[in-house]
Parts: sequence; structure tokens; C-alpha cells
Amino acid sequence: MNNNILEMKQIEIQFPGVKALDKVDFSLKAGEVHSLLGENGAGKSTLIKCLTGVNKMDAGAIILDGQEIRPQDPGHAMTLGISTVFQEVNLCPNLSVAENIFVGRQPMKYHQINWREINRRAEELLSGFGLKIDVTRPLSYYSTAIQQMVSIARAVDVKAKILILDEPTSSLDTGEVQLLFRVMRELKAEGMGIIFITHFLDQVYEISDRMTILRNGHLVGTYGISELSRVELVTMMIGKDFSQMFELERAEASPDANIALEAEHLGVPGKVEDFSLKIREGELVGFAGLLGSGRTETAEMLFGAVPSSRGSMKLEGHDVKINTPGDALNNRMAFCPEDRKRDGIISDLSIRENIILALQARRGFMKPLTRAEQQELADRYIKLLGIATPDAEKKIGELSGGNQQKVILARWMATQPAILILDEPTRGIDIGAKAEIQKLMLQMCEEGSSVIFISSELDEIIRCSGTVVVMRDRKKVAELAGSECTQQKILEIIAGAA
Amino acid sequence: MKNSKILGAVMAEVLLLLVCLVIRPDFFSISYQPTTGMLYGNIIDILNRSSEITIIAMGMTLIIALGGTDLSVGALVAVSGAVALKLLRWDVLEYNTPGDYTVCNFFWVLVLPLVVCTLMGLFNGFLVAKGGMQPIIATLILMVCGRGVAQILTDGKQFTTGYAPFKVIGQGSFLWLPVPIIITVIVVAFMAWFTRRTAFGTFVEAVGINRSASRLSGINAAMIIFIAFAVTGLLSGVSGLIYSSRIMSNDSNNAGLNYEMDAILAVVIGGTSMTGGKFSLAGTVVGSILIRTIVTLVYYFGIVSEATMAFKALIIAVVIVLQSEPVRNYLSKRRAKKS
Repeated sequence: MNNNILEMKQIEIQFPGVKALDKVDFSLKAGEVHSLLGENGAGKSTLIKCLTGVNKMDAGAIILDGQEIRPQDPGHAMTLGISTVFQEVNLCPNLSVAENIFVGRQPMKYHQINWREINRRAEELLSGFGLKIDVTRPLSYYSTAIQQMVSIARAVDVKAKILILDEPTSSLDTGEVQLLFRVMRELKAEGMGIIFITHFLDQVYEISDRMTILRNGHLVGTYGISELSRVELVTMMIGKDFSQMFELERAEASPDANIALEAEHLGVPGKVEDFSLKIREGELVGFAGLLGSGRTETAEMLFGAVPSSRGSMKLEGHDVKINTPGDALNNRMAFCPEDRKRDGIISDLSIRENIILALQARRGFMKPLTRAEQQELADRYIKLLGIATPDAEKKIGELSGGNQQKVILARWMATQPAILILDEPTRGIDIGAKAEIQKLMLQMCEEGSSVIFISSELDEIIRCSGTVVVMRDRKKVAELAGSECTQQKILEIIAGAA
Repeated sequence: MKNSKILGAVMAEVLLLLVCLVIRPDFFSISYQPTTGMLYGNIIDILNRSSEITIIAMGMTLIIALGGTDLSVGALVAVSGAVALKLLRWDVLEYNTPGDYTVCNFFWVLVLPLVVCTLMGLFNGFLVAKGGMQPIIATLILMVCGRGVAQILTDGKQFTTGYAPFKVIGQGSFLWLPVPIIITVIVVAFMAWFTRRTAFGTFVEAVGINRSASRLSGINAAMIIFIAFAVTGLLSGVSGLIYSSRIMSNDSNNAGLNYEMDAILAVVIGGTSMTGGKFSLAGTVVGSILIRTIVTLVYYFGIVSEATMAFKALIIAVVIVLQSEPVRNYLSKRRAKKS
């Protein structure tokens, strides 16, 4: 049977240096919810961008309703019947709900906008979704869930055949998700094909009919929802193609080591629920969990970037209150953020300036490091970490990702932290640099620092960590130590099957 | 990289001076006037008259490096003058001529205007750093109402004074040079020290380039923004004292008029990008002098004063286009091809 409304065949997209998509096939039936799954960088959004004309494919074909199409841009894709709702609501918060739905295609009367008609039709449309709201109010007046509904209403009203939902639920609570699902089921019943991207596996199993899994730009497979257990799914998403290049000693703390950090019942509303943790000196704690499970949010909370609103925290036995990153810095904590470009590097400053930044911030600007001291520090870390650069005056923005990451590491190593939090320090860098960074972490543990290591790659978590904290749905769900830390066990907990 | 940006401004300045020299062969001559103990000449005059803008632009450089702008500086010049003259005013009922007269200790005549302007700068900083307002909007408030404050302080009147010590600030001489030049040198030297001999400059650049990363590195970004606005307020106050000492009066309507634009221009001509990031105080000084040179040139060309602004705009447009990224890339490519 071939009732596919959409077929993507042998799609290939080449980005500078990497093959973002390599011979990927994808199909969508009418009246189906098809989940697109994979870790970050797997190629999900590239595939969607290809379908909506944002990225041009280098090879392959897209067939919509039996006709080959070549979307030029999202507007063109929309006229072809492909509507997309992106993760961030991309509407205008200052316009009214009704205006947002009809912007660009307002019904006219006597060459003037027919406001009454706009409001009437908007109300009608939304009430179809079970939403009874005042459509003349500005969009920003309503919650994110309703805003999300409005953007879906807009996407649906343009007579779409295919609706793409890119992480629509990441900012919704349970009730709101159910509302969204009800709308999705109605649309499905009307024969629309829906591509659903999410990191929440529960939702995948609740709403989808089929799923397609991508990994590193390759198609892993397409399965019916009942063909694949959760554990199998997570295994496929994460893969096992990591070569065990280096055998590493796990950094386990001796049981009599001092407790370096003790967090009790910390939490940030809507981001992290009730989080407690003890870390000993010299211990490496790995945070495992899918993206959106609250790993990054927890790290940001511990470091004071998004301060905890409750609970207490002790460092080396003393009560501390960490409300800003500055507080954390003064308490000898360090944090390498996940998004290197956005939160890590100061692109136009030199390697030297980037390295001394945190140390200088702790000293305050009135006690500057002398130029000689800065030079000495920079040279030492360039050598120690093997940063590939002719000298310390090169702009950090001109370095490769792996080297930028090393500079950020150097920035924090220079402060001689007691607690070092690393959020995905090995993402997007080549395997050699990856192993070097893993070694460095363990070396720091040996010297008495405690490290919190967040990674999406279970393999490296298991290889390095003495203790593994598993996060799911913004909560810490398990803490495994020593021999309990096996891939199987962690996968089961992540998948929620245990 | 950094030098090439300043180089453009320096070359433009040299070119303008050469044009002046062609029109007036005695342009560079400097003479000594024994009666006042001061050196006179066009160059001295350009430096002297650029003082007000150079001083303000030192602070403006920091704010622009942080990715903002301060529109209120011109109004603060008026406020500074109003406060000073309120304390210096010539009481018409007691004296027939503007005389040596103050209503309080001369120390306060100097310090209070600066304190008021610093507080206004802090107000700007508060709105931007804590209130999260866009700098251009936040400073618009004082740009508009600052002159109103100045009017209220002086009951809408224009006071004049003849107080000799006050006259020294704008018209006196020290080491044969006009005092404003001396003040400018001190301010520039201090700012150079403050930004490059402490880590303040690096922090300003870091926050201007990537505020989020700076915050996560432990830099108190709000504090840096606070200080930059406070310093700019203070320097506007200094500039206001010079201005009002030159005219020995306060003028709430015209004092510091359009100074914000000239200061921003000086910074931009000096090679600091409006999007923030790396800044150059030396470039700003050159930029400020360049602006003044243009005004001088306009007089020498005998251009009617109505056309001054248009002529100024024309030259600045050329300089800025020459400095723009695409043009510089194009030029450096051509240079690379030739060699």
C-alpha cells in the first residue's frame, strides 16, 4: 500500500566539513503522527529545514502527493502545503491573537482590513481547538501553551497537508501537553500528516504511530510504535559507535574523603525539581539523561546562573548562598557551559584574555594581573592543554571548536576550582580532543577537585564517572555508583522502564 | 587590525590639515602672547575647542564598547553649568558689575556639578543595568528632561558671573597652554590608565562582546555598566564646567547642544564599533580632533555658516564609509593582490 503524502528519498546535505545528512529516507502517510528522533546533531532539524526550504539538499528528492517539489524557502513550502511550528513561538507577542493568525493574509473589505471578519474567524478556529479566549488581546497576554496553540492554528488554517511540530512541548506542562495532543488527534482524524519532534519519550509512545531514528546524519531505521521498546529506542538514538580509544580509570572518591559539596532540596520552579546531591573531594559525578531532562538546568542552578529558590547548599561543610555566577566563582566553583558560542567564548578577545577572564573576575578589576603574569598563565595552559595556536594573541573566535573548549577549560583551571561543572565539554569536537579532555577531567580529580560531568554520550559518562546521576523529566531519578553503572541499567532508567 | 582602524582616522586628519595648509600657508604657525602667557595658533585652537567633546567621548567610548549609547551627555553639560552658575551667580541687587562673587565655597562650585552629573549617570546606569532598558531609550529620558532640570535650577534665567577663579577653567592658561587642553590630557591619561592598567577595559570589552559568557565567567556585568555610565556622567559634568567657564554663564538651551552626536561620532570615527566590543581611546581622541578640524576648515573655506552642518556631515560620511568593513576588506584585498 502506498498512501504516503510525503516521501523524501536519499536526501544528502553537505555542510562544510561534515555530511549533515547521508542518504536519508523518510515518508509520511496521511492521518499519521510520525516522530522524528535522535540526539542533538543527529540531523533532525536539518531534515526539517530541507523540507521547508531553509537548507538546500545536495542530492535526493522530495515527493509531495506524487509530485516532486523543491521548496525554496519556508514561505514557498507553506504554499505547497507544508506548515511548520518551531520550538520557539515565532509569532509577534505585541499583536493580537487574531492578527497573529491572519497576518499577511487579512480578509479585506472595500480595500480595507476587515477586522470584524478577522476576529470572528479567529474565534471560530480556536474554538475548534477547544480554546475560548478573547482573540483581540495581545498574544503575550496568554501562556506559552496557548501561544503554541495559536501558532498551530495559524499553521493549520493555511490549508496545510503536512504539519511539522518541532519540540512544541518543551515548555508546556502536563495539562497543556494533553490539550495539544487532543488537537493533534483531531487533525490526524482529518487526514493531516504530522511530523513530531520531541525529546520526551513518553510523549512519543503516547501520540505517534511510527518513528524514524537518525544518528549522526544517518538513518537508523523507521519503526512502528509497537515494534520497538524504549530501551531499544534509546540505544539506537545514542548508538555505540564510540571507539574505546583510551582505557580510563574511573574517578571514584575514597569513602573517607571530605564532602566537597552538599546540596539539599534545591529547586527552580519549572526547571529543576527537588535536587539533592553529595560530592566528595576527588570524585567525578556524571549526569546522564536525555536532552531536556534537566541536566543543564541543574548545572546552571548549582552555579547560580539561575539561582535555586529553595533548599540549602554546603561547600566543604560551610553553608553558602549562590545567587550569581560571581558568588559561585568566589566559592571556588567553575562552570563550562553547554553552548560554547553563546555562553563560553568572548569571540573577539584573544586567547590570553579569555583564559585570564574568570581569575581576573575573582580578583576584581582593580587588582589586575600584570601582562607578564597573564602571558605566563596563557602560555602554561596553551602548553598543558595542547591548544593549537601560534601564540596567545590569536582571537579565540578563530580557533576550532575543540581548541575553543580547551581555552574555556583553561579559563576555569586557572582559578583552581574545588568544584568544576562541565556541561557537554566534549560535544562537537573530534575524538582525539575528546579523549584529551576526558583525561584532563580525571587528572583534576586526582589533584583533589570534584567534577560534575554532563554528557549525552553514555559511554564516556560510564568510562569516567565514579557516580552517575540519572535525570529524567527535570528530576534526579537515580544515583548509581561503582559496578551499578552499566549502560543497560542507565538506559533502562532513562527510558523510564525500570 | 586595531591599528588599521585608527590609521584611517589619522590619515583623514592629516589630509584635512594639509588642505588647511594649502588654503592658509601660515596654518601651523604658533605664536606666544606675553600678556596672557599663552600660545596661540590654529592647532592650539583646534585642540582647545575639541576638549569638551574629547572628554565626554572618553566615557562614550566605554558605553559604545558595551554595546550602548548615551544620549543624555549634552543635557548633562547644561545641568553642570546650571548648578555651577547657581552657586556663582551675580547678585544684581548688590553688585553693579558681574564680580568676584560666589554664594558658597569655590570648592563646592566645582564639586557639586560633578556630583549631580555623576548621580544622573548612575541613574542612566541603573535603568540600563538593573531595569534592562535599552541604553538609547534609558538615556533619552535625561536627554529630554535634563535641560528641564537645568531650567528649574536656574529659574529659567541665564546667570552670568565674573568670578576670576572660575574663569581659569575655560579661559586660563597653564604651562603656556589653555587649561581645557590640560584638563583633557589629564582625563585622557586617567581613562587610559583606568581601562588598560586595570582590568576594567578588558571587562568592558568582554561584556560588550558577549554579556552572557561574561556573566558566566563571574564578571558582574551590571556593575561594569553602572560604572561606565557613572564615569560618562562625571565627564559630562567636567565638560559642562569648561563650557560654562568659557561663556562665564549658563545656557540651559544651548550648552552642550548636539554634543551626544559629536561624541558618538568621535568614537565611531576612532574605530570603535557601535555593536560593541573592542574599543580604542586613542582613536576616539583622533576622532574628536578630526571633528573640530572640519569645523575650522569650514571657516577657512569661507562656507556660509548655514552650510556648516551639511559640510561636516559630508566629510564624516566619507570617513566612515572608508572605515566600513566591506571597504576595508576590499582595500586590503587589493593591497594583497598588488604585492
